[in-house]
Amino acid sequence: MKYILMMNTMRAGAGVPAWPRADLQAHIAFMHGVNRDLREAGEWVASEGLSFPDQARLVRAGKNGAPVTDGVFPESKEFLAGFWIVDVDSPERAYAIAARVSAAPGPGGEPLNMPIEVRPIMSAPPQEML
Amino acid sequence: MKYILLMSSTQTGVSGYHKWSQSDRDIHMQALGAIVKGLVESGEFVATQGLAEPKEAKVVRGERSGLPITDGVFPEAKEFLLGYWIVDVATPERACAIAGKISAAPGPGGIPTNMAIEVRQFAARGDTN
Repeated sequence: MKYILMMNTMRAGAGVPAWPRADLQAHIAFMHGVNRDLREAGEWVASEGLSFPDQARLVRAGKNGAPVTDGVFPESKEFLAGFWIVDVDSPERAYAIAARVSAAPGPGGEPLNMPIEVRPIMSAPPQEML
Repeated sequence: MKYILLMSSTQTGVSGYHKWSQSDRDIHMQALGAIVKGLVESGEFVATQGLAEPKEAKVVRGERSGLPITDGVFPEAKEFLLGYWIVDVATPERACAIAGKISAAPGPGGIPTNMAIEVRQFAARGDTN
């Protein structure tokens, strides 16, 4: 069963965290380690990091289908910072992976304890979408 | 350049969708299917996924010991990801144009839903973030 793990930790206007460089590097190394272990376990499907919220745009169709773009978001909006898609045997395993990601080190090596949203992916796209 | 187009809504919005007629839903899905087909033909398609219902969502935090603490209670206003499209396009304008097409997918009675689609570029490999 496939799950998506979403790191919805960014707020409007956020940029690169103002952490000491060594802490940033430890954080990135930790995330690389998670991905390496998932690949070795055969559970890795995909993972991506997104650009920072200051580059996000909200698009709606205007008249004639032309895109109307807006870059203004409420301060409280949560932005996706990155995600993992994993293929695991149980929901508990997906939660365990999410917990590991949640505990990624932040400033001073302290675990961030970020909330990670975990959602099943539909087992197959609807036939109409293929 | 790769972009992700994120379609989100609240639990209220999802409940509204379940009240659409079957034919309105079919027309909506056919329109989204045609958009994906066009992206495949233009070589811009990378991936798309629909997510299961918000009621199946959990939020997980790691304990100091690394054990997961799960919670399934969310504020009413929380936006949930319904699905996404990843596209590989030449310009940001093209990514926004595709998002506009998705936003214009027909809803009940064939009226465009005009859903807001969030457009985000992927972080470049080797970024310091």
